Amino acid sequence: MQNNLQTSFCGMSLNSPIILLSGCVGFGEEYTRIKGFSNTKVGAVCLKGTTLEPRLGNKPHRIAETANGMLNSIGLQNPGTEIVIDEIMPSLKKNETKFIINISGSSVEEYGEIAKHFDDTDIDAVEINISCPNVKEGGVAFGNDPEMSFRVVEICRKNTTKPIITKLSPNQTDIAKNAARCIDAGSDGLAVINTVTGMAVDIETRKPVIGNNRGGLSGPSIKPIALLKVHQVYQVSKKYNIPIIGQGGITSANDALEFIIAGAATIGVGTALFYDPLVCEKINTGISQYLSDQSLSGVGSLVGTLQLN
Amino acid sequence: MTSSNRETISVNDCQVLAHYKYDGEQYILTLSSSEIAQKTIPGQFVHITVSDVTAMRRPISVMSVDEENGAFDLLYKIVGEGTRQLAECKVGDMLSVIGPIGNGFRVTDKKNPLLIGGGVGMPPIIAIAQQIKNNNDYNPFVILGSEVPFPFTPQPSEISNTCPSKTHTMPILEEWNVACGLASLQGFKGVYKGYVTDLAKEYLDTLSKEGLSQVGVYSCGPHPMLEAVAKLARDYNLPCQVSLEEYMACAVGGCAGCVVEVQTDDGPAMKRVCVDGPVFDAQSVFS
Repeated sequence: MQNNLQTSFCGMSLNSPIILLSGCVGFGEEYTRIKGFSNTKVGAVCLKGTTLEPRLGNKPHRIAETANGMLNSIGLQNPGTEIVIDEIMPSLKKNETKFIINISGSSVEEYGEIAKHFDDTDIDAVEINISCPNVKEGGVAFGNDPEMSFRVVEICRKNTTKPIITKLSPNQTDIAKNAARCIDAGSDGLAVINTVTGMAVDIETRKPVIGNNRGGLSGPSIKPIALLKVHQVYQVSKKYNIPIIGQGGITSANDALEFIIAGAATIGVGTALFYDPLVCEKINTGISQYLSDQSLSGVGSLVGTLQLN
Repeated sequence: MTSSNRETISVNDCQVLAHYKYDGEQYILTLSSSEIAQKTIPGQFVHITVSDVTAMRRPISVMSVDEENGAFDLLYKIVGEGTRQLAECKVGDMLSVIGPIGNGFRVTDKKNPLLIGGGVGMPPIIAIAQQIKNNNDYNPFVILGSEVPFPFTPQPSEISNTCPSKTHTMPILEEWNVACGLASLQGFKGVYKGYVTDLAKEYLDTLSKEGLSQVGVYSCGPHPMLEAVAKLARDYNLPCQVSLEEYMACAVGGCAGCVVEVQTDDGPAMKRVCVDGPVFDAQSVFS
């Protein structure tokens, strides 16, 4: 791993600024089926969204391709907190990378309870998902209301000493205002953005393609939206020195660099893995080369260096 | 999932060695890869980049392998924009192919395998036939169905089988000395007019009790066909494996996008077609 990729984020020392995004890489082992893929090449792996009780998730179809992207509506299928802690976490290869648990609740109290359970584990950080667009209760309903966001982060803060990252929804009027409230409540970092809500229609059946009717749009088509949101959130978060995971449509080193310049301290990769499972190494190489070419010692020197016209 | 699953799938740049179009917008694509040719078992699939424009890969079952020349064949039909773009690729082009993926068919020791494939679900059925063609322990009967012209020229068969309705066969199966019946509602020449399950029932009804006890059913095809095959297997009390398809994103189990609901001892569960399947016990899917 190139030395200049070492990145500090929410008190964690990362091998690379790349964080693999929740929902794209299962519980961290799935992509290691592929030859040449290694978790050691990324800074952290954000595990599948976990709820207190097991969830079956939504009915098929759960995904649909769209122009330069895809819709998904998985519905937080997961085995529940107890099984994740007792059966999955012990097999995580902790020497390979950092692991972040992504948590979701259907009430403020449930978020707090899950955070408390993971506080007693060796997980490296907790990402609070207040922006899942694909569940009936909770999810984005919390994330689009700054005061509800505050309450969710606040209860998690009380219940864990782990670094907290709050994953923000792009499906709201003022993401920066929400970010400010999450910081007030004690969030150590922010993930910007979750998917953008959308729909696809089958003209033969005249039904939505997605079983849950609607889904979350990801992939290159949302990159311009995500970049602007990162820029907007950064205007708030920089005052408090709160770092951002910039995410949404990153498929190359150039994409990643755009996010870092806009204000992201680390960058999230998800949908791009579906196109090219070995993309992370290419992104690492490209970022490292750019830093060398620009005579920058590390990613940190580039964060938020955007110069507006 | 244990670490023993690590590094079982490779990312390959495969050259297009042949690409033939058949009626009904069906194509047979031959790609180079010694690794996929050697490692693939029947029922496994590859996840393939279809063009520079469309980034999402498409999961397509492997139909047959040529270990000697390091090549494998895929059969697909244009069903949307992705496969339309795949149809544009030419001999010499390079395609990124991830594979082989999935739990394939578990070919059991039942001596009378009944292999039923429909439409673009024919490939894994042909792959099983290829695997067992030289094994004298088996006495397979293949039934292929299609509502568009078959992606091969049906020819009369010299191979004896007990099925009362005699039909033409697929040339490669004839070469492999594997008995076959073709079925369609379309009235194609030399093809049984009816459903694959009608032909399967005719065949099963010729077997003795002892013969029936040695039948294992393996099937891949459209969902309604699989449902009918599962029912037939249930009626005759036969073990039955089916290979399913679903829209797929990662193909390695990471995204849970391609699930199907199956019944387990612990109640209903959502299983990933990519790595928990694509082959499932028929009665766990259709009950």
